Amino acid sequence: MPTITFLPSYRKITVDPGNTILDAIQRAQIQMNVVCGGQGKCGKCIVFIKGGTVEFDREKFGKFFTADELGQGACLACQAVVRDDLHVMIPESSLIQQQKILMESLGIETAFQPSVWKYYVVLSPPTLEDPSPDLTRLVWGVQKQGGPLAEKMYAPLDVLRGMPRVLRDSGWRVTATLALVPGGYRIIDLEKGDTRPGLYGVAIDLGTTTVVASIRSLVDGHVVGIASNYNRQISCGEDILSRVNFARKNGLPKLQALAAESINLAITSAANGAGIDLEDIYEVVVAGNTIMTHILLGIDPAYMIEEPYVPVVRRYLTTSAPRLGIEVAKNASVFLFPAVSDFIGGDIIADILASGMGERDEISLLVDIGTNFEVVLGNRDWMFSCAGAAGPALEGGEVLFGMRANPGAIERITIDPVTLESEFQTINSIKPVGICGSGLIDLLADLLRACVVDRTGRINTGIVHPRIRQGTHYPEYVIAWKSESGNNKDIVITENDIKNLIMSKASVLAACITLMKEAGITRTELSTIYFSGAFGNYIHKENAIMIGLIPEVPIEQIKNIGNGAVEGANMALINRKKRKTLDEIAKNIAYIELNAEPSFMDEYTGSSFLPHTDLSLFPGVQKMLDECRLKKSPLGVP
Amino acid sequence: MAEKSPDMGGKIGYVLLGATKAEGGTRSVSYHPGGETDLPFTGMKAWEGSVPLVAFEICDDPGYWSPIVTSYTGDLVSDTPEWARTAEKQYGADLVRLYLTSTKRRGFDDFPSITKVMEGVLSGTGLPLVVEGSNEPAIDSEVFQRCGEAGQGERLLLGTAEAGRYRSVAAAAMAYNHSVVAQSPIDINLAKQLNILLREIGLKADHMMIDPYTGSLGYGFEYSYSVMERIRYAALKGDTDLAMPMITSATDSLSVKEVRDAGPAVRDDIAVAWEFYAALSSAVAGSSIVCVRHPKTVPLLKQAFRELWAGKMPGEA
Repeated sequence: MPTITFLPSYRKITVDPGNTILDAIQRAQIQMNVVCGGQGKCGKCIVFIKGGTVEFDREKFGKFFTADELGQGACLACQAVVRDDLHVMIPESSLIQQQKILMESLGIETAFQPSVWKYYVVLSPPTLEDPSPDLTRLVWGVQKQGGPLAEKMYAPLDVLRGMPRVLRDSGWRVTATLALVPGGYRIIDLEKGDTRPGLYGVAIDLGTTTVVASIRSLVDGHVVGIASNYNRQISCGEDILSRVNFARKNGLPKLQALAAESINLAITSAANGAGIDLEDIYEVVVAGNTIMTHILLGIDPAYMIEEPYVPVVRRYLTTSAPRLGIEVAKNASVFLFPAVSDFIGGDIIADILASGMGERDEISLLVDIGTNFEVVLGNRDWMFSCAGAAGPALEGGEVLFGMRANPGAIERITIDPVTLESEFQTINSIKPVGICGSGLIDLLADLLRACVVDRTGRINTGIVHPRIRQGTHYPEYVIAWKSESGNNKDIVITENDIKNLIMSKASVLAACITLMKEAGITRTELSTIYFSGAFGNYIHKENAIMIGLIPEVPIEQIKNIGNGAVEGANMALINRKKRKTLDEIAKNIAYIELNAEPSFMDEYTGSSFLPHTDLSLFPGVQKMLDECRLKKSPLGVP
Repeated sequence: MAEKSPDMGGKIGYVLLGATKAEGGTRSVSYHPGGETDLPFTGMKAWEGSVPLVAFEICDDPGYWSPIVTSYTGDLVSDTPEWARTAEKQYGADLVRLYLTSTKRRGFDDFPSITKVMEGVLSGTGLPLVVEGSNEPAIDSEVFQRCGEAGQGERLLLGTAEAGRYRSVAAAAMAYNHSVVAQSPIDINLAKQLNILLREIGLKADHMMIDPYTGSLGYGFEYSYSVMERIRYAALKGDTDLAMPMITSATDSLSVKEVRDAGPAVRDDIAVAWEFYAALSSAVAGSSIVCVRHPKTVPLLKQAFRELWAGKMPGEA
């Protein structure tokens, strides 16, 4: 069997001939950036063959490489077939890197009403005069300690099996863990001695890209640890459709296991950071999108991505941690958030919970932007929701120098309207290698202010300036010169990048406007716009309005709820009453299918303009644009 | 005819095409398309705006022209000024639309010839002119400057501005006080976007006409029709970025399958019928200027408009 040696780590792995290099990389557990799921479409999994030969169609995939790169043996890992021993160099840029993830969520007060408790009891040992069974002794003891009524408690078989030893070994001093279940209380654990402080729960945001775990004490409700990591399923495809397609090809068990593994990793690292024993985590609450939730449950998600887009289950669910492969206390229960539709999942219900918009009379708009976006509009009485594909541009995909929020990404940028020179700031303050979503929004807004692009996003090549030039395929603006960049290239934004960005932002804005029209709401009636997700925390709100990503409202009315999914899951974790309301919330949200909405396409075209064809929707931007134009001669014909 | 529909408040703006001596030019007539406050055929009068105008299309390199027209017309097509004169005197067109097809030649750089053609056509006919410049970004600027300059004072209608290339044509129009044809691909929002772009670089609304892009009848015209109707509705409801008169061209008609496949004996008749119905439908949808290429289509359209628009003639008050 061929042996593949990966450089620079010299990790070796053997695979059967006929496998792709990507297969080998995944078996070697190297975290490679696979955006398209191995279809040869994204050109991100670039590797260099340094020894041996592979089968690879250089003609077909040549467009992803420069001549120089081809000369150095570049190929796509997913399309290169292994026949013989190889030395494969994996460049840093092809690996998934440490991402900046939002950790702080803004706190909303909620009642502390957990659904697991610990009772420490000191029991009298049985005698001939008092021969009551062990369980009877225990439940009476718990009731005497202020626990539930003895007849409401029961113990599952595995707890009963261990009970006689634990009671006697501990000298009849034990701690019982009780969980509220339909019809009563289940004794889910019995430990020797007093272990009352060791009572924790964990709230999980199971995202397509990242998983966040936040551990709370269920004695007093405070957060003790939080950690996050990539969803390990990324090695099976970056976007959600690639995952479903992977599941279709008998990949569901693998995806399920990877989902559990990702959760376990996040929990373990949060627990280790806080010095907590995993066995002391008695409850897990998971908020994830509908497809992620299905996959975690091991339910086939295939029917959600084809017409008529039907999920298997929409209601909230509870199950036990071991059945899903989540490694916490063995009788811990898992609570999974309900969904509205296949596109509006538990993560959005969690957003709504975290924002509190479902409890107020005023109307709010909630926007959650990732590769897909979700929008919810409404108040305590009614809610409309919709979802769509924003495309990867806002996250740095489909943009020549676009990248995730990794070190070296330009995250803030301004352009001087007169000199057209740029000034930027990168993550970790190292030399720039690309630009991430927040940087792209800044850039587009300032290019518009400086009249370098017109309102369709076309670059005015009539402007004579070294930074504005005709690139290989499209006109481009040079953000950073080769001499100042970290990858020895001029970092540019092309007219095509801008087009992709506008398409992304247009779908979000068109969705917002469609919902508002559907509900008969104008922008002045919006009390608050909530951004959920890391994205909202890092972008400049003025610039988001300037380019027309969201409807124009006063800046102070835009709020970030941070990671709404984990925040909402936390609320459900510490307040069991909230869980009961979730199905109700989910049921009351009307889902608007944008594809079936005839006006959506119109709104989309109207929104494919900076900020929108109808400037009366953006009075502040109009004023700003007029001021910018006064300072410039916009025609710019040479 | 029905009562006039309730006033929607908006009004289509006027565009001055052609300039007479009094207006600073040399044209024998000038037109002011625009002024509608209602959809066509819904008011007490046939239409409050002007009667639709018929523009006859000619070119300076007939190698790029439909053989149906060139074989019907004969040698005349090689003499552009004479062709323009014939359009006016013999066919009875209201305007002449000149396509500078010579600029399509590979590596075209004979810019002085443009000035010459322009001067020839301006002296060949007294009608207002629509001038279609090049279709190649590399030479656009030079070509449009030449057209604009040669027609200075004549209030030309210069074409065609599209979202991807509008600066050169707009610059020439603004420099020499001409108007611009703003064409977008059958979409109300894209039409609006382009008008905004033109406005934002300084072109006045009364110097723009909308070309919503019309497919041939039976080949997508229904899309054009509904877009034209929506553009007009939006304008009448107060959207000033769409309140310009429209110009449409029925010339795709000459290349539809039915015309191509027709036998030599009936080909001209079928071509004329196709052009006629497409142009008439465009006028009914709200077009102020319809453009055709077959000489026989012109008098038919003039007659139809005269009768449908209640006897009002072009140029009459």
